[in-house]
Amino acid sequence: MTKKVDLVQGTLEMLILKAVSLGRLHGYGVLLRIQQVSGEQLVIQQGSLYPALYRLEHEGKIKGEWGESENNRRAKYYTLTATGRKQLAEETEKWNRMGEIMGAILRLTSGEMRS
Amino acid sequence: MKAIFAHMQSWLRSVTSRERLKTEMEEEIRFHLEARAEDLTRQGVSPGQAMRQAKIEFGEVATHLDEMRRSLGLRWWDDLWSDLRFAVRILRKSPGFTAIAIGSLGLAIGANTSIFSVANELLFERLSVPHPEQLRLLTVTGDEKVVINTIWGRGNLEPTGGRSRYDSFTYPIYQQLKAQNHVLEEIFAFKDLGRANTSVNGNAWSARAELVSGNFYEQLKVEPKLGRAILPSDDMAPGTGAVVVISDSFWNRAFGRSPQVVGTVIKVNMIPMTVVGVNPASFTGAESVQVSPDLFMPLSMVPLMRGSVGNSGSILSSSNLWWIELMARSKPDISEERARAALDVVLRAAVHGTMTIDKDGTMPQIELEDGSRGLNDTARAYAEPLHLLLAMVSAVLLLACANIANLMLARATARQREMSVRLALGAGRHRLLKQVLTESLLLSFAGGALGLLLGYFGRTLLPNLVASAWEDVEMTIPFSWNIFAFTAGITVCTGILFGIFPALAATRAEIGSTLKQAGSTASRRRKAWSGRSIVAFQVALSTLLVVAAALFLRTLAKLNAIDPGFRTDHMLLFDVSPPAKRYPPPKDVELHARLEEDLRALPGVAGVTASDIPLLAGVMMNGGFFIEGGPEKDFNFRNEADRHDMSRFPEMAHVGNDFISVMQIPMVAGRAFTHQDTERSPKVAIINQTLANKYFPNQNPIGRRFTQKLPSSKDRTWIQIVGICADSRYNNLRDEPLPLHFDLYRQQADADSMTFMIRTRMKPESIVPSITTVLHRIDSDLPAMNIRTQEQQIDDNLQQERMFASLTSGFALLAVTLAGRHLRHHLIHRGTANE
Repeated sequence: MTKKVDLVQGTLEMLILKAVSLGRLHGYGVLLRIQQVSGEQLVIQQGSLYPALYRLEHEGKIKGEWGESENNRRAKYYTLTATGRKQLAEETEKWNRMGEIMGAILRLTSGEMRS
Repeated sequence: MKAIFAHMQSWLRSVTSRERLKTEMEEEIRFHLEARAEDLTRQGVSPGQAMRQAKIEFGEVATHLDEMRRSLGLRWWDDLWSDLRFAVRILRKSPGFTAIAIGSLGLAIGANTSIFSVANELLFERLSVPHPEQLRLLTVTGDEKVVINTIWGRGNLEPTGGRSRYDSFTYPIYQQLKAQNHVLEEIFAFKDLGRANTSVNGNAWSARAELVSGNFYEQLKVEPKLGRAILPSDDMAPGTGAVVVISDSFWNRAFGRSPQVVGTVIKVNMIPMTVVGVNPASFTGAESVQVSPDLFMPLSMVPLMRGSVGNSGSILSSSNLWWIELMARSKPDISEERARAALDVVLRAAVHGTMTIDKDGTMPQIELEDGSRGLNDTARAYAEPLHLLLAMVSAVLLLACANIANLMLARATARQREMSVRLALGAGRHRLLKQVLTESLLLSFAGGALGLLLGYFGRTLLPNLVASAWEDVEMTIPFSWNIFAFTAGITVCTGILFGIFPALAATRAEIGSTLKQAGSTASRRRKAWSGRSIVAFQVALSTLLVVAAALFLRTLAKLNAIDPGFRTDHMLLFDVSPPAKRYPPPKDVELHARLEEDLRALPGVAGVTASDIPLLAGVMMNGGFFIEGGPEKDFNFRNEADRHDMSRFPEMAHVGNDFISVMQIPMVAGRAFTHQDTERSPKVAIINQTLANKYFPNQNPIGRRFTQKLPSSKDRTWIQIVGICADSRYNNLRDEPLPLHFDLYRQQADADSMTFMIRTRMKPESIVPSITTVLHRIDSDLPAMNIRTQEQQIDDNLQQERMFASLTSGFALLAVTLAGRHLRHHLIHRGTANE
C-alpha cells in the first residue's frame, strides 16, 4: 500500500476543475475521479468537497444542473464553464512551473552549489 | 464584469429562494451519502454498517452545510437575518420603549418634513414658467409727496425709510414704458380682478379673474395644454377680445375636464366670453406661485369688466389711476442697474408727459425686483409665522434627537449586564456591536417610515390650517424628498450614533468588573453624566415649547372670552357682488333691498340684514367725520401732521335697516333705524359708545349732524345722529372697540358688494338651499359667495392664533411627555445608584 498524501492548501479547487474538465460529474463522482486519477494517494475529507464546489459555482467557474444519475436518482451534475477552463489552464501552467522550480531546488546537491 | 454579474445572480438566487436552496443542499449531501454507502456495500460492508461509515467519512453535515452557505457569500446575510430577527424579538419584549422611540422619531421626521415643505413652497418656490429667474417685477418707490395718489389695488406696500413702494402703474405710463424699453425683453402686464360672477351652462360660479396683456403668454413662454393662448391680436381696441383662457382647476370644476371646452361661450360678470384655451395644471399666472386665477382675459376687456374706478374716468385712458402690474424678462447682456436707470428716464418722461403734477409733487423712481416668485404676496404674508413655526419645529427635531439619544443611553445602561454575559460566553465584540447597530437601524427605519407617512399627509393638511373653512384649498404642496431625507437623516444618525457608542463603551469595559458590580463602574458614571446633560437639554427645550404654547393658548383663550358685542350664534353670512354692468347705481341698492325682503319671507328666518363691512372679518373702512358747528379744517393727506390726524377718522359700515336688531347690539340712547328711514327721508346714523365719548365728550350727540366730506368740498350732505349703541368689536377680536358709526346703505348713492346676515331659528347651515333658491329666482347669474356662519367667520379671523396655539400645544405636550418620562426615569435611576 502506498503512502497517502494530505492535500496542500488551495489545491482542492484545482483538482475539482481538472476532474470536471474531463466530463460532467456529480459531487460523489468528483470525489471518485480525484481518487482514481491520483491512484488513491490523496486524502480528501469528503464533506469539505461541497463548500469548494459551491464556491466554484458561485464564482461562475463551474455550473451545476440537476439531472438523472446512473441508477435513476436525482443528482446535481457539474460542468466546466469558459471561465473555469481559463482558470484551469492558468493553474496548470502555474503548477507546472512551480513543480519544475521546486524540483530543481530540491534536486540541488552541495557539490553543485559550490561550482 | 461578467464574474461580478455571475456573483450577483447566484447571490440573489440564494437570497430569494432560501428554502429551496436548503433542500437542494441537503438532497445533494444525501445523494453523496447513499452513493457512497452503495459502493461500500458492493465492497462487502453490511448495509447498516455502510451508511454509518459513509457518514463518518463525510464529516459533520451541519458544519459542511454552514460552509456551503458561506461559500455562496451568504454569511453576512445570514448574520444580518438572524440579527434582525433577534432585534425584532428584543424590541417586542419592551413595547413601551419601542413605541416611544418609533413614535418620537416618526413625529419629528413627519412634522419637520411637512412644515419644511410648506415653508419651502411658500417662501422659495418659483413660478412654473421656463427660466423664472429672468423675470423682473417693475415697481416704483416715492417719498410722501410722490405724484401717485389714486391706486386701484394695493398701494404703499411696506414703506421703508420714509419711501413707499408701489407695484402698479397707470395704463398710459405702461404704454410708454413698453414702447421705449430697450433694456429688458418686452414688458407685459397683468391685473387681478378679484372674484367674478361666472356663469357656465346656466350654473353660477365664483371665479378668480385676471386681465393680461396680449404678450403675456408669449413673454412667459407658456403654452396652453388645450386650445390657444391670449394673443397680442386679442388685446387691441378697448372693449374687444372677448376670449378667455381658463385654469386647469376651473376646467375641472366647471367643465368636468370636457375636451369640448374650447369654443364654449361663458358669461363673466354678464359679458359673454369665448373659451379659447386651458392652461397647464402647473401654471399659476404671474401673481402667485400657489394659487392660479381661474380666468385669463385680455386687458382690452377692462372697460367692460370694470368701467371706472372712483372718479378717475375710463381706466385705460386715466392718467392718474395706478393699477396695472408689470413684468419683463431681463436681457443677458444688460446689467440690472443700467436697465433700471434707462427705464427710470422713460418713467420720468412718461410721468411728465401724461400727468398734471402739483408744484410740490415729487417723481417716483423705478425699481427692478426679483419676479421669479410673482408678486410674492404669500411669502410676505406668511414669512413671520412660518419662521416661528420653523424655529419651533426645529426645537422639536432637536428634542426628538435628544430623546432618542437618551432612550438609547438608558437602554445601553440597562443592558450592560446582558452584554457582559454575552461577552463572557464568548460572543465576538464585533458581533455584539453589529447586533446593537441592527437594533438601532431597525428602530430608525420604522421611525422613518412613520415619518414618511406623517410628512406625506401632513403637508396636504397644513394648508387647511390657514385656509377659510368655507373655501376650497387649492394650494398644493409638493412632497419634497430632499427635506424628508434631511430630517430623516438627522434623526436616524442620532439613533445610530447613540446606539453604537454606549455599546462600544459597554463591550470595552472589563467583563469581570461589570459582571460583579453593575452598580458603579467608571463607564457607568460617565454614561450617567452624558445622560444628565441630555436630560437638561431636553428640559430646557421643552420648557421653551411649553412657555410658547402657554402664551399662544392664553392669547387664544383671551380672544375667545371676549364679548364681540353682538350675538354670534344662529347666524349665516354670504356675499353678493352685483356686476356693475347689470346693476348700475341705484339698481344695486334696489337689488340688495329686494334680496333683504325676499330672504326675510323665508320660513325659519328670524331676521335679515346686510352690511358692506361684515363684522370680525378683518375688513374695515373709515372716512371723514366733520361735526356741524365744530372746528373746520381741511386735510392734506400728504402732510405728515394731517396723516397722523387720520386716526381721528372713525370706522364705519353701511348697513340695512334691521342691522341693530338682527345683530342684537344693545341701544344705549336714542332710537335704532326703522323702515321709515328710506332713500328719500333725511340721512341718519347710529354711533357707538366709543365714538360718542371721543367726539362728543360731555355732550348729547343725539340730534347732532355730521358730514363725511372735507370742508373744501362743495356738495356736503349732512347726516343726523339718531342713536347711540353699545360698543362692538369691528374688524377683529384683538383690537379694543374703535369709534364707529353705522349708516344706511339705502341712503347711499351706490352699494356694490354686500354681506348678508341671516338670523335663523334653526341650524344656520340648513337654510342654505332656500337662500340659493331665492338668489336664483332674482338673478340666476348671481351666486351667493362665501357662505359661512358667523362663528366660522370669527374662527377664520382667529385662525393664525388657533394654528399656533394648537401646533405649539401639540409640540409642547409631546415634549413634556418625552422629557418628563426620562426625567423621572433619570431621577429614580440616580437615586438608586447613589444609595
